[in-house]
This record gives sequence, structure tokens and C-alpha cells, in this order.
Amino acid sequence: MTAPLLEQPGTQPQAVVGLGAVNSVGGSVDEVFDSLCAGRTGRAELRGFDRSRFRAQHAYEIDDRPDGGGDVTGRATRWLIRAVEEAARDAGLGDDLSEVPILIGTGLRELRSAELGWRDGAAFDVSELHFGTALRERFGAVRTYTFSNACSASLYALAMGSDLLAAQGAETVIVAGVDTLTESMYGLLDRVHMQPPDQVRPFDKDRKGVLMGDGAAAIVLRRADGRLGETVRGLLRSVYVNCDGFHVTAPDAEGVAQALLGAHRLAGVKSEDIDLVMLHGTGTLLNDEAEALAIGQVFGPHAGNPLMTAVKSMTGHTSGGSGLLGLIVALKSLESGRVPPTVGLREPVEEAAGFRFVRGAHAEAGLRLAQVDAFGFGGVNAVAVVERAGQ
Amino acid sequence: MSSSEILVTGVGIALPGVDGPADLLRAGSTAGEPEVDPAALLGKRGLRYKDRASQLALCAAADGLRAAGLLTDALTVPGSTVGVVVSSNLGNLDTVCEVADGIKELGVDGISPMGLPNASSNVVASTVAIRYGLRGPNLMVCNGATSGLDAVYWAASSLAAGRAERFLVIGVETDNRYVRGLLGLPTGQLLDGAVALVVERADAAAARGAAGSAVLGRYAREGGIDQCLDRLVPEDGAVPGTWFVPEGHRSGDRLPADVPRTDLSEVFGRASGALGVLQVAAAVSWFAAGGPDAGQRALVMSGTGQDDAVAGLLLAPAGPAA
Repeated sequence: MTAPLLEQPGTQPQAVVGLGAVNSVGGSVDEVFDSLCAGRTGRAELRGFDRSRFRAQHAYEIDDRPDGGGDVTGRATRWLIRAVEEAARDAGLGDDLSEVPILIGTGLRELRSAELGWRDGAAFDVSELHFGTALRERFGAVRTYTFSNACSASLYALAMGSDLLAAQGAETVIVAGVDTLTESMYGLLDRVHMQPPDQVRPFDKDRKGVLMGDGAAAIVLRRADGRLGETVRGLLRSVYVNCDGFHVTAPDAEGVAQALLGAHRLAGVKSEDIDLVMLHGTGTLLNDEAEALAIGQVFGPHAGNPLMTAVKSMTGHTSGGSGLLGLIVALKSLESGRVPPTVGLREPVEEAAGFRFVRGAHAEAGLRLAQVDAFGFGGVNAVAVVERAGQ
Repeated sequence: MSSSEILVTGVGIALPGVDGPADLLRAGSTAGEPEVDPAALLGKRGLRYKDRASQLALCAAADGLRAAGLLTDALTVPGSTVGVVVSSNLGNLDTVCEVADGIKELGVDGISPMGLPNASSNVVASTVAIRYGLRGPNLMVCNGATSGLDAVYWAASSLAAGRAERFLVIGVETDNRYVRGLLGLPTGQLLDGAVALVVERADAAAARGAAGSAVLGRYAREGGIDQCLDRLVPEDGAVPGTWFVPEGHRSGDRLPADVPRTDLSEVFGRASGALGVLQVAAAVSWFAAGGPDAGQRALVMSGTGQDDAVAGLLLAPAGPAA
């Protein structure tokens, strides 16, 4: 906290040296990425809720509940720990993370467990609403932070973690994101949809809205100081965060555009340098329109240049964890040259008519720079720029 | 004064039994004091469908922004220079549990769609931003017993990184049947209120002629109270002039017994995610009260060995304005 002021955040690239992910399409980063490139979705009929209470009947859940129906507490916490384990292992960190800050972005914390505790009498302690309690038990971690920032939470957490590294507040940080369906959020979204969606179809003219998905993602981040013997999975060039200050649920294209411009400025890149955009793309009427308008405004004549894709078409909306999942998929795409398709996109909305969506099968291309979008309820916007390792 | 220092330039309060910052040092319990009435403080307009936590936070936000000279009829600085960090652990449990009950009883067609924003835990932070046009970073910290101090820390970190010039930091909790049920507590033990701080880069404060009332110092989050004390008050370091202790914790023999200890939860009730922000505001009042030790630093601490960690923060009195 006594660190000198930086000229601006993000001026020093940082290295991503470990990746972890689990969601409805896979139990590890490689499994998830292969599934996404193959166009496999995790969509299924609702598993954990009483289906008779809802109009919508589908979601993108992790199928890990015990046999016999019903729901259990603590699932989000378990996925978070798995994703952190995978990322830490990937980075060559041991099981002792007592010296490593862990920043978790989540939309809904363990609110599903709170619902089960309050309404259905499940055993639940309020100290487990945030994730520090479990992370201390598992990894001895004490510098843990749960940020509950709606659907941009994990990229907001990334901004905070990136600042901590830049200010010499830590050698290494772990940034993670996690969410599970809550009955309250799933139900309220169901309530406001004009027609119940049966599939997430980002940017499609016939999209009906969003369906939630389960998942966790984690990365290990270090200063890019060229240390030996470390596998760099990609470089973080910038994360910019702001708030529309406009509406509690509806996005504002102007605030989103400011976030895109901010991320480009901090990374020292122009929109024409971006090769790939990992869209927020929730399949809601409002998000996709605002996001497309903002990209059109910021990219101008270059809006047709980058490849674009929206993986929520396969994972559902993994809420606060979705931004970091997008970042991990971006790094894997830059590394491998493979970009997953946007499944279910038949005819793009007018605002996105000129975009180069990846459709049908995955695309193959040589790519260097990717932009990752995440926007949340309350107009909380976060945009990251990442670069292929080994430039 | 260094331009990189981070100052507290305003305190805002929406607490039972507190009329102004000086009352934060009151000795008697606030139990039985009338509850905060947001409609009386702000007018009814714009409060409909807002949950109790958001309403309380709006009251503290208005008070804090005015105290800092940032709000008259409108904001006195560009909205993009002001970020928001809110800490609350229990804030939207009322909506979450009520909606879950409603779905079981009536199905989704029976629940009110107006609950949608309140089902997302960050509703308090974004509601404050929307009402006052604060378009900087907007962060909701839900981090257990240390959450309030963690919120102050992340605001300071973002200021140091140049993400904004000033942050409104709010701690808020509410007392309702859902929260009491989940915590297994009787009525009258939980705080139902909000506290706000404006923390600001010294150069930004100076540029608009604003004075600070305290300077933020070192922060730590450690596995226990002793480790936190070791980190913040090394053996050869100056002993603080006062210690706002974690809830229910007055011992701490690593500090001399004559350092006064104040447990604000004895006065204001169990404050959870609001505690750290309340403690910092009380420390500012302690400096302002100008007692014999008020030239020394104040130590504030949240969390005990019963929690996942203990966070502490040192504050110093603000020097003469640069």
C-alpha cells in the first residue's frame, strides 16, 4: 500500500503461468478447450431444481450431484478448489499457497448453499458464503479475497490482482472465478424472459435470452521478468474496469465502449491490432445489442477484422467466472491457432452483421492479440487484452 | 505530505443512534435506538424496489460525498474519477431467500420480477454508482469478517494504480429474519446500518482544495491476530495510540495493556462486513477528538482466530494540508 504510484495500470505486461478450468463441457482446461473447439455443449434439462416450478427447463450444469435427485451445498467451492489446484499445478506451485494471494470473482458466491440452508434445512454456515474459509483449509491461504461483482467479477478480480503485482505487493497471484446456478437468479431471469429460452444463442436474431451455467476458472499470474524454467501460457497486456452508472440490469453501449477503449489504451494497442474477440455474448436481447454497438463504435472500419466467438453458446452463462474462462480460451486459441465456434448462431443481429463470427466448425488462424469482454448487472464492465506467449 | 498518500476526506453515516461522526465514539449500546429511515433522509423518490442494504448505503453515500465536498446539487468532480467499493456479507440474503421461498410456493410466475437486480450481490455498489453518477471502478467485496477493511485496502490499491482519483467506500449490513435465521441469532444483535468513507489521492484532494482527516497506512491480512500485529506493529515500531479491536476480542497481549481497546460491536451490534469501514470512520473521529494521544497512529483490526483470517490497517492523523 505504500508502493509508488504507477503511471497507469497495465503498463508492464504480466505472465500467465498456470491455467485451470472446470465446467459443463469438461473437467480440465484441455478437456474444456477440446470440447469447445468441437462445438460440444453442456446443455441439458435442469438437474438440481424442481423443474415444475420453472418455465425454462434447461441449463449448462456440472453433472456431479449424488444420485437420487435434489441438490447439495458447497458445489461452487469444490469446483473453485479444483480449478485452483489445476492452475497451481500447471505453474509448478505446490499445495502450500500461504504466501500467494488468491482473488476470486463470483456473481453469486455460495448463495445456492444459503438457499438450501434457509429453505430446505441443509447444513450451511454463513462463514462459507465467501471462499476464504475453504481456501485456507485446503491451501493454507490467508490473503484471499472474494469479490462479488456480477458477471464481470473474475476480470474485475484480475484487475485487482494485476495491480497488486504491479505495485510489488506479491510475486505471484492466483485469480479465479466461480459460479453455480442459484434458484433465485435462475428463477428471476426465467420470470423476465418474454419466452423461456431453451438454448443460449449469442448474437442470433432469434435469441430468447440467457440460461445459466456452472463453472470455475483459475490462472496463476506473475510479473513477466523472464525467469528461467517457467512455461508462459500468455501475457496479460491490460485489464480496464469501469461502471456505466446507468441501470441496475440493462447495459449501456457508451459505458461498454469506454471500457473497450480503456483496455486498448492501457495495452498500447489499437482496435485494428486485435485478432480475436472473446465476446461476452450472453444471448440476452440487451447485452448482445449493446456489445455489438460498442464494438462497432470502437472498431469502426476494422469491426470486420478480428475473429469473434461467444463460448456461452456451449457453457451457458457461467456468470462471475465467465470472463476468466474467456481469457483462458483466448490464451489457448492464441497458442494453438484454433478458435471455438459460436454454436446456434444462424443469422446475426443487424448490429453485428459485419462481424467475423466463427460458426459451424472451429477456425484455424495465426493470432497474436485477443480482447476478452465481461459485463455485469449494474453496468460493471471489465475488458482485458492478452497476447500470445513467445513474441 | 506526499502526493502518493491516500487520505480520508469524508465520512458518511447511516446508523441508529448516531447523528454525526463524533457519535461514533459513544460508549453506550445503540440497542433500542430508532432504526434509520432512508425515505426521511433521502426522500422516497428512487427508493422503490431497492433492498434495505442499498437504501442504507445510499444514505451513507450522500452523507459521505457531501462531507467530502464532492456533492452539492450535483457531483463537483467528473464521475469517471470516482470509484465505489462496497463491503457487505449479508446484504442481499433477504432477496435470495425470499425468492427461493416464492419459487417453491408459487413457481416463477408467482415471484416479482422487480427482485432481479437484488438477486445479484453487487446491487448495492451499482445502485450507489447509478444514483450519483460514479463511473469509476465499481467493486463489491463480500469477504467475511475482514471484508470492510479489505474494501478500504482495495480502494487504496486501485488509487495507487491510478484507476481513479477517489473512492467512495461503504460498509453496510442489515438485520432481518432471513439473516437472523441463517446466523441463528435473536433480534437486536445485528447492525442495521451503513458507513461511508471517501478515500482520495492526496494530489487529487489538494487539486480541489480538500483537506484530509487521516492518512491510510500499512495493511495486512494474516492467519491470526498475533501474526497481524507482528506485521503491522513490529517490536521496534511505534505503538499505536488506540486499537479498535476485532469483535469480541480485547486481549492481544502483544500490545501494551495501556493502549486503549475499543470493540465497536459492543456499541453498534455485530457488524460483519460493515465493521472495518465503521472502525476506520471511528478512528477518524478519534483523531478529530484531539485527545492526548491523538497525534499517534490508530490501529483497526477485524477477524479473529474463529474466522478465515485477520485484517489490520494503520491510520495516521493527517498533517497540515500541503
